[in-house]
Order: sequence, then C-alpha cells, then structure tokens
Amino acid sequence: MNMACGSMQLTIESCWQALGVHADALKQQHLKDLLSQDGRFGELSFRHEGMLLDLSRQRLLPQTLDKLVDLAQASDLQGWIEALFQGEAVNNTEQRPALHTALRLPAGSTLRVAGEDVVPKVHANLERMAGMVELLHNRQWRGYTGEPIDTVVNVGVGGSDLGPMMACRALNDFVPDEAAHLKIHFVSSMDGSQLVDLLEQSNPATTLFIVSSKSFTTIDTLANAATARRWLQDASDVRDEVLVNRHFVAVTASPEKALQWGIPESNQLHFWDWTGGRYSLWSTIGLPIALKIGMSGFHQMLAGAHDLDQHFRSAPLSENLPVLLAMTGIWNINFLDIHAHAILPYDGRLAHLPAYLEQLEMESNGKSVCRDGSASAHRTCPVLWGEVGPNAQHAFYQLLHQGTESVMCDFIVSARRYASEHETLQRQHQLALANCLAQARVLALGDAALGSAQDNAKPWQRYRGNQPSTVILLDELTPRSVGALIALYEHKVFVQSVIWGINPFDQWGVELGKTMATQLLDVLDSGQHPVASFDHATNGLLAAIEARRMSNPDAD
Amino acid sequence: MKIAVWGDELASWVAVAQLAAYGNDVRVPQAAAGTTEIRPSQSSVRAEPGLMELIQAGVIKGQLSALATDECEEVVVHWLAMAPDEEDKAIALVQRLAQRADGSLLVINQSNFGIGASDRLQALLNSDAGQAVICLPDTLQQGRALSQFAQPKTLLVGCEDATALQSLQAILRPFTGALQSLQLMTRREAEFTKFAITGMLALRLGYINELANLADLLAVDIDVVRQGMGSDERIGPHYLAPGCGFGGQHFTQYIEGLAGLFSEKRRSTLLDTVLAENQRQMELPFRKLWQHYECDLSGKTVALWGVAFKPGVASIDNAPALRIIDALLAQGARVRLHDPEALPEVREHYGNHASVCYCADKYEAAQAADALLLLTEWPEYWSPDFERLAQSLRAKVVVDGRNVYDPALLRAQGFTYYGIGRL
Repeated sequence: MNMACGSMQLTIESCWQALGVHADALKQQHLKDLLSQDGRFGELSFRHEGMLLDLSRQRLLPQTLDKLVDLAQASDLQGWIEALFQGEAVNNTEQRPALHTALRLPAGSTLRVAGEDVVPKVHANLERMAGMVELLHNRQWRGYTGEPIDTVVNVGVGGSDLGPMMACRALNDFVPDEAAHLKIHFVSSMDGSQLVDLLEQSNPATTLFIVSSKSFTTIDTLANAATARRWLQDASDVRDEVLVNRHFVAVTASPEKALQWGIPESNQLHFWDWTGGRYSLWSTIGLPIALKIGMSGFHQMLAGAHDLDQHFRSAPLSENLPVLLAMTGIWNINFLDIHAHAILPYDGRLAHLPAYLEQLEMESNGKSVCRDGSASAHRTCPVLWGEVGPNAQHAFYQLLHQGTESVMCDFIVSARRYASEHETLQRQHQLALANCLAQARVLALGDAALGSAQDNAKPWQRYRGNQPSTVILLDELTPRSVGALIALYEHKVFVQSVIWGINPFDQWGVELGKTMATQLLDVLDSGQHPVASFDHATNGLLAAIEARRMSNPDAD
Repeated sequence: MKIAVWGDELASWVAVAQLAAYGNDVRVPQAAAGTTEIRPSQSSVRAEPGLMELIQAGVIKGQLSALATDECEEVVVHWLAMAPDEEDKAIALVQRLAQRADGSLLVINQSNFGIGASDRLQALLNSDAGQAVICLPDTLQQGRALSQFAQPKTLLVGCEDATALQSLQAILRPFTGALQSLQLMTRREAEFTKFAITGMLALRLGYINELANLADLLAVDIDVVRQGMGSDERIGPHYLAPGCGFGGQHFTQYIEGLAGLFSEKRRSTLLDTVLAENQRQMELPFRKLWQHYECDLSGKTVALWGVAFKPGVASIDNAPALRIIDALLAQGARVRLHDPEALPEVREHYGNHASVCYCADKYEAAQAADALLLLTEWPEYWSPDFERLAQSLRAKVVVDGRNVYDPALLRAQGFTYYGIGRL
C-alpha cells in the first residue's frame, strides 16, 4: 500500500490528499492491533540527548510519518526554519522577527538582524541581570530600612508570568545555597486577590517587586504594581522616589514607559520587540528563574534549549523531535479529527506546564486566518488543557477512558528521580511511573489491556481504548532538560503554524476585549450605568450591578 | 607527666602552652610528617596575647615537641580540644588508643562535639582497665585565655571515675590555687551545662538588643533602662550591654550547636531566633547610616573604628564589622579602617581592594569621611579629640555601635549622633 508522494516534485495538495487516503484506511485499525506489530517501539521512538519521544501509541505507522514529513517538506518547512533562525520577519502582521532562539545563543556567536549583531546585546542584558542576581543572592540588595531583600514578587501576566512560574516550580530542586533565603512569588490576577493575600504576610522593608511587562502598559500588571507601591508608601516615611528605587525592578521592552512610571534606568532590565511574550522566559523576563536557580542554572537551561535549537535546525526532518511531535499533532487534528489535547506530566514539579503550554499553543496557533489574509482551509490548534497526571486520574480521566470525545494526550515523565533520597520517596516516583505507563497502555488498548479478564465485563465496565498518546521520557528533570523540553514545544508550535500557513507570533484576538473593557470601565467609573447604550445583555448587567451597589449599606 | 594534646584550636594551644610551662612533657602531632615546627594554623589563635611566646618558651625548655602520631599515641594522658566538625577524627583516634593500650588511659575532652559525645568516646574504651574519658568544658574567652586557664575560679568536670578524677586534679594542681568551686557531674551533664550557660548569655544579649531597638522607636534611652535592670539582684549587670551583635568563633559555635539541638529535638526556634536577630543586629550601624543618607551610599566614604569582634583581640572571626564592610562595599562606598590590633587579619581578608584603605592612625581613617562608625570599643576610642575628629570628617556623622559616647556631648559639638537605643 505504498501510496506515498514521490520524493521530488511534491505539492502541498498532493501530500494532503495522500495523507487523507492513508488516513481513511488506517482509521479502521484499532491501536491495540497496531501495537501488536513487532518492532513498533523501535521504529516509532526517537531520541535526542536525554530525551526520548515515544510515538508508538499514536494511531499511525512508520510510513505515516514518511508522508507527514513529505507534507512538511512540501510546505517548505526547512525554508521556514532557516527564516526563523536567521531573524527574518516571520511575524508578518507585525513586520518583525521572532528571535527567541537568539536569546539562547552562546556568547561569542553572531546573528545579524537588520545589519546589527544581536548576540552582544542579549549577553549584555544577561550580564546586567547577573549583577542583580548576585546582589540579591549576597543579601546586598537593600530595602528602605537597609535590611536585605528576602522576598521577591514577580508582577506580570501571560508570558511575563506563566513561563517563569512554570520553570521556577519545575526547578525547585536546584536552588543553590545562596538563593535559599529568597522567597519568590508570582502575582498576576487583575483583581488583586493574589496580591492582597501576599502583602498581608510580607514585610514591606524586605520585599522587592519585579514589574514584568513587555509594553509596560499591561493594565493587569500596572494595577497590581500600583497597589504594591501604595502598600510601601503606607508602611514607611521614605520618599516615594527612594521607595521605588529600592523596591521595584522593571523588566520591559519599553524603557521610557517604565521610566515614566518611576523606575529609573538603573533598575531596568530590557528585552526587545522581537521577543514574543510567550517566548520570553529566556530573556530577562527569566529574572525570577535566575533568582531561583542561580545564573549558572539559568545558563544551563539556555544551553539545553540551544542544543535543541541546533537539533531542530540541522537534524533530518524524519529524525527531528519537534517536527515529529508537530506532524503527529497534524495527523491527529487534520486527519483523525481529534480536537482536544491533554498535557499530563507525571511529576508534581511540572504542575504549571499545562497552563504554560495552553498559552504557548493556543495563543500561537489559535487562529483561522492564513498569513495571506485568507481563511484557513484546515482546522488549527485544538483545545489544550492538562493537570498533573496522577491528580487528573481522579478528575477528568473518566472522560478520557469512557467519554465520547477523542483526546490526544502527552505524558511527560522522567526516568530518574530522588536518587539520593529516602526509599519512601523513591517509591513514590516508582508509583508515578507505574501509573503513567498504565494509563498510556489502557488509553491505547482499552479492554484488551486486561485480556480475557474483561470478557464478562458489564457495559459500564468497558474501555473503548484507541486514544492516542505520546510519551516524552526525560532522563531526569534538570535545568538543561527543562530548557530542551520547552524548546521542543516552542518549535512544535512553529512547525504546525507552517503547515497551517498561519502566523504563530501575533495575538490580535486579545485586543478587542481590552478596548471594550476600557469603555466599560469608563461607564463604571462615571456611574452612568442606567443610561449605558451597549447591547441588551450588557446594559442589563450594568443596571443590575448599579442596583446592588446602591442597596449595599456599606457603600459611601 | 607525658601528655598528648590533640586539636588546632585556641583551647588546645592554650593547654599546650600552659601544661608545658609547668613541666609536663607535652607532645603534639606533627602538622605534616617530619615537620617539627609548632604553630597554630589559625591566625586568630596566634593573635592570642602571650600565647606564641609561651609556646616558644616551652619548645626552648624542651617541654614541648612535635612528634609522629604514633609517638603521641603511646602516652597515657590525652587532651582533646578539637574543632566541632572533627568528631570522626576524635573517634578514630580513641579507637586507635583503645587498640594499643591494655592498661589505663585518660582522655580529657574539651571539644564541642555536642551532648553525649564524651559518652560515645568512653564507649570505645575499656573502663574496667582504667580507661576513662573526662569532659572538661572549655570556658576560655579569646583575649584572656591564658590567664583563664591558669587561674580558673570554677571548674565544671564531667567525670564518672574516681581514679580518673584524681589524675585530672594532679594535672590541674598548678592552676587551681584560686579555684572556688569544682562542680562534679556526669559527662553528659557537663556538656549540657556548658551549652546551657552559653545559651543563657546569648539570650540575655539578644534580649537587651531587642529592648534597645524598641527603645529607639519609643524615645527611651536604653542605657538608663539597662542600669535599672542591672540593679535588680535577680538579674545583675552582666551581659546586658546592647550593641551591634556578638561575634567570636566559640561562642557562636556553641549557640549554633544548641540551637540545632532545640530545633531538632524540640522544634523550638528560641535560639534560632536569637542567632538570626544577632545577624541582623550586626548590620544595625549600616542601617542607621543607610537611612541617614536616604538609601544611597554610593560614592560615600565611611570610616570604621574597630574591626576586631571585641576589644583585646586581633581576631575578626564573625565580627560585625565584616558584615558592615561587605554591605558598604556592595553599595559602592569606600571604607577607611582603623583597629589597634586586627588590621593584619583584615588585610588578609580583603587584600588590596581598591575601596578599602587600611589606616594606622584613627584620625587618618576619619579623613574626609562622610561618617564614622565605631564598632569595637577599644579603650583608645572612648575619649578621642572630638575637635580633631570634627575637622577630619567631611560630614560630622557618628554611628556609635557600642554606646560608648554621651549623645548630648557629641550633639553639642555639632555631630549627628546615632547610638543603639540611645536618645
């Protein structure tokens, strides 16, 4: 049944067609039958450094991957990868490059963008960041009383929050002695509820706020920062200028805006408009990560990502981990019609990975317009969600096993953990590994996993199986492997965007809501609720809010 | 008597010098095979007043020699004053002694290995053969260690064997003329008592410092309060002087040991808090200066009088001044240092740092400085020529970390004065 496209003159359309025909045939086969084929694991698992990508529980054959690689080739994936790495304006709607890969280039390399080598700028900023990290680790960053800072609060949202928070949690085992005294918190929610709780238990004299905002106009972040500033003013007799100087750091691509807010140049760390928010944890946005694991740990994370960059750029597509992961997704979404994707780390340290990937994937590829402005002919990014696997087993796995929806799953787990810890903890990791393997097996095989023992099961005890999953097995979780894991997903997202012909680096879909919120805020501020002229639903709710506020006995 | 002394601590070297001075044949193990030089490796020990001279005298008289380990191990009396992290070494030593000796052995343990350590050493020996461990807690203070060894007023002795006690008394006879009490107890009790005394002193210092900081905020002069407290006979005047924290190696090591026990066995943070607050207290003069200059000390020049952790020693072990110098340098300030004895140690610590100036004269240190910090209450700082000081300084700001000056007097001469809990 070799119906593959010829390797020379492939057209995108012919590849899509060939894959469609192939899919029609393959759809009839249950995963349990595919998994009974000898040598499948060997043919469908791929390795790079300490990472193993196991695609053997996907509903595909080795020749499916060949056809998918043909499609990637026909879509000029290699050309796009080069364009990405060389700093071409791959973000076409905003006419700029997307150079997160430049953020992890080693010192001494060069990358010319618009005639200028960006690598020295990147490393100069890392150096500045290292200076701040050193002061804080040596307990020499002093607050307004002269006491050393012992609490750092990252105020940011979206890419200025999810990436650093995810990495800090993931690398909690790698805190060097000099960082042990620093408590690091993340505050993002617009309504201030996280901040209020945190301020109650913190000491203003020893708390430093990192205000992270690419544009320095993000209202969520500036609202939290203003509350923090007020808290410091209330706590001390020191002049506001001095307070801001000692207790605020800005991480931004808009230095003037940060300066207008009151944060002097000396307390600013910069990055550039060519770093997308959700791709920014490698830049100075990663300051909380560097504070958590030290600059040496941070550099290891960058090195892990850089190593994967090189693999992505140079490995043949058929052995290229991000490409294979992406094309498997294309297969599931566009040929098997699966539009839900669960991220299931079997490691509590990766608790924030699902939220991070939700943004990375859905903000990047949650689009229906192609680069040329035409409507997308294909389904694009699926709905992505997730949870620490063992906990999700007690939550939504019921749906995975017996619901009506097809869901593709990513299991992420490391082989080694707790090597130098107590046997009870080693046992816990063993337990997590066993559960990870068990769930992937049952999802794929269904009833067949237990063989004849299931023969007399009642209908509600039946397992359909045939849910495809990928296992990403890491040797162990380290700064380096986390760097590689994140880069793997970044490049996966890019590959899919190339296949779909969309721009993954803009996010125009979030703008209208902001504009509308400004209009509504004006109405709420002015108290003109009853005469508002929005749609009926909005008018109705505004009136209801007004009525409830009027009847509140505590209102002024 | 032939006595082998083990350890490279102040207590071991004081024992070496004094035991040799009274005619004992004192042996110390060679620092390296074949080296006959007898010299403490820590400069703070070498700085102990009179110690090096007394060691030298012992060598000249032939009472003191550095021998191979084997030759040290062949004697009957062993004096152990080793570092707190050398318990494994002590255990290995006592195991070797037990293997080679059939008859009696006397091990006098002065090391701070924690409570129960002397019992652990005893368990390695054959008590039926007259092999005994005595716990003799070290009560030496740096700066006065020789005289304290020579004329103790009280001795705590943890000993559970009458013959061993007789031997110890024979060894200590030259030194017990002024002895008022010898408290005999079990080894474990002796170790615990030593810990308890040190902890009590730390608590008093921690408490008076807390009171001084509160007095600062309530416009009360702690000096008046302190005298009032000291007049109550239940309290007494000792260890009630507020200041910028306690330092010194041994004191801190004992308190850390006790704090560790409290935290491990009792989940008690009492002494952890004292230690943490002491660390903060050490930086108090820095914070006063920081606030005076509105949180910006970059480019400022600061004079420091006193770097040693207390007057009378050349040692800077855990001295508050080190933390303050580090803080000032980190803020981009320059420091000009004076200390009557500790400057060589300070120079060893900071080397030729562009922002550190070592001054032989205290007024030279004050030259063109934006403030003077007094951190060690050496006698020569108590009554300086204030007029000359005022002329030397660029800004007449004095932070008195030891409360030695009269605030009113300094203010009358135009100084801005900050003390610890002073009006």
